[in-house]
Amino acid sequence: MSHAPVAEAATTDADYAAQEEAHGITPRATGEVVMDIRNITLRFGGVIAIRGISFDIREGEIRAIIGPNGAGKSSMLNVINGFYHPQEGEIWFRGAKRGPMRPHQIAKQGIARTFQNIALFKGMTTLDNIMTGRLTKMHKNILWQALWKGPAEREEGEHREKVERIIDFLEIQSIRKTPVGRLPYGLQKRVELGRALAAEPSLLLLDEPMAGMNVEEKEDMCRFILDVNDEFGTTIALIEHDMGVVMDIADRVVVLDYGRKIGDGTPDEVRTNQAVIDAYLGVSHD
Amino acid sequence: MIAALRRTIADTLEHEGVTIGLAMLVAFLGYVALESLMLLGDDPQGALIQLGVVAAILLPLFVFPQGSPYIERLGPRLVPIVLVLYPVLVFRATWGDIFFYEVIISGLLAGVMYSLVALGFVLIFKSSGIFNFAQGILALFAALTLVGFQTGQIPFAHVWSWLFGIEAQSFDFGIPTALALVLTLAAMVGLAWVIVRVVLRQLVNQDPIILFMATIGLAFVLEGVGEMMWGANVKALDIGLPTGPSDTIIDATGMFVEKIEIAAAIVAIVLVVSLTLFSQYTKMGRALRAVADDHQAALSVGISLETIWWIVWSVAGLVALVAGVMWGAKLGVQFSLSLIALKALPVLMLGGFTSIPGAIVGGLIIGVGEKLFEVYVGPAIGGATENWFAYMLALLFLLFRPQGLFGEKIIERV
Repeated sequence: MSHAPVAEAATTDADYAAQEEAHGITPRATGEVVMDIRNITLRFGGVIAIRGISFDIREGEIRAIIGPNGAGKSSMLNVINGFYHPQEGEIWFRGAKRGPMRPHQIAKQGIARTFQNIALFKGMTTLDNIMTGRLTKMHKNILWQALWKGPAEREEGEHREKVERIIDFLEIQSIRKTPVGRLPYGLQKRVELGRALAAEPSLLLLDEPMAGMNVEEKEDMCRFILDVNDEFGTTIALIEHDMGVVMDIADRVVVLDYGRKIGDGTPDEVRTNQAVIDAYLGVSHD
Repeated sequence: MIAALRRTIADTLEHEGVTIGLAMLVAFLGYVALESLMLLGDDPQGALIQLGVVAAILLPLFVFPQGSPYIERLGPRLVPIVLVLYPVLVFRATWGDIFFYEVIISGLLAGVMYSLVALGFVLIFKSSGIFNFAQGILALFAALTLVGFQTGQIPFAHVWSWLFGIEAQSFDFGIPTALALVLTLAAMVGLAWVIVRVVLRQLVNQDPIILFMATIGLAFVLEGVGEMMWGANVKALDIGLPTGPSDTIIDATGMFVEKIEIAAAIVAIVLVVSLTLFSQYTKMGRALRAVADDHQAALSVGISLETIWWIVWSVAGLVALVAGVMWGAKLGVQFSLSLIALKALPVLMLGGFTSIPGAIVGGLIIGVGEKLFEVYVGPAIGGATENWFAYMLALLFLLFRPQGLFGEKIIERV
């Protein structure tokens, strides 16, 4: 194997583009880099969860992060989302370096996410859950809300309309008033997606959106993810274990193993990458 | 019995508040039993009857140490029957008896006072999952601060005299009541900010039980600070609320009703209506409920925990101020005021820890039940039933309906 088509060596945008051209790949998403992750290292005491990982996410693409269990995928998402603060490295978002921020501030910047093990507000209805997604968009202050009538009420109405559109889009009209704690797993995942969408994010992070689903639910979820990307032009970064799904829907894939990046590129490139094959077939690390 | 308790605790583990309440109840039962034993010398008959009542209520726990499907099936039917039948029987027996109505009304009004305290608990529990042990102290602190402002007391007077030998105890002027109320509210909001910055901020995403322990610590700190700031002596609180019985009511019906209790009822109604509307129909209310449900998810949709907590604790401070004023005007501002928080516990168990209307209904049931029991059953069993009746009622409720009347049912999915 003389020249495995790996884009890993690419460190700059120009490099990336050159490599892609060399391999005759014209990715569907050709937008600008939205998020640039540079040399992130994350440690928990002595455990190194992420070691010097760099990759970027481009406008309008579906970017998948894959890797075996414990590879640092979720940690990576938590870093992007602000739950974890990396010890080293920088994150550039929309051309600006991001300082240390709290998760709710990052959410306000337009980064929404879902969780691996569903984090919905279980006591609240589907509608209310999705409405919480709009909190960052609601600006009437507390006094107006106390009075409620007038501007605050009008605002509530406007947001309600947007939320109804999302409910239609996700085909969950029938469970609008059901407390989400009572819903089956697959539907809960869908509601969580709805809540993330309600924030009209420019970057949507999905942590294993299809984990624990049956084939039919997976197909539905795939369709929703593709539709979101298509219709709203939302950039999506997702973690997924189901290789079939990832290879089908992702534009580019980054592969992690033991906190390191071992592959990065289009699904086809990644599929033929020896390091990736080794990691997935379980070849021993020296 | 231990096994039964353990089972109940396991059942209600989701609701730490209930578990803690149960532990406190058991401690309290021990206290009642002890008290009865001490009474044995003076009034053997009364003491024995009292012990008998405790035993009868605990009997199911002994008989069915592992719990019993019979109790579980019987319970939900028994409770409404007792709740309906008993009042009906009493009502029939006392038809047209002015004294009876008077008891009911004074019970209702006392209940409102309990509800006011319980409300503070519910607000914080609902919106942050914290069982706030410091709520009673908060009420005391608010009342102390109000009196301090009103009378122009110098805060930390003792400390200044110790440090610098300044002997002045108070300024020469007092602050008018209305302004003092506003200032006290501002102080409570400030206190809420300090609590969030110093205590809660460090405890994001921790177990509720850890937050609960933190509030116990907070209670002690506040008690100490309050005492240092304003002194430990009993103070009279007069904010111009009407006192004495209402003449109009006496003339019209012959009943004896305290004006201040009517005022408390009106204030409580206004408070509850506005709080319920606020938490159900505004964006902030939705954010509050979201935070209560899941810290991490709340952060991820862009809710700032600190801001929300600050608001919640400020509102709890406002409720504490109202409760402190009402109780302070009734009993005088003293440190035993913080103990009324204990009375809120059975109210919460009845009403459910998460329901604002529940706190009110629970308070009313306890208030009325307590007074009726004291007047109609008390003499037969040696009196002083007001000390323990509420706790007994709450214990019964825990057996049959751990989530309270209006609480959210806990469903454990396996």
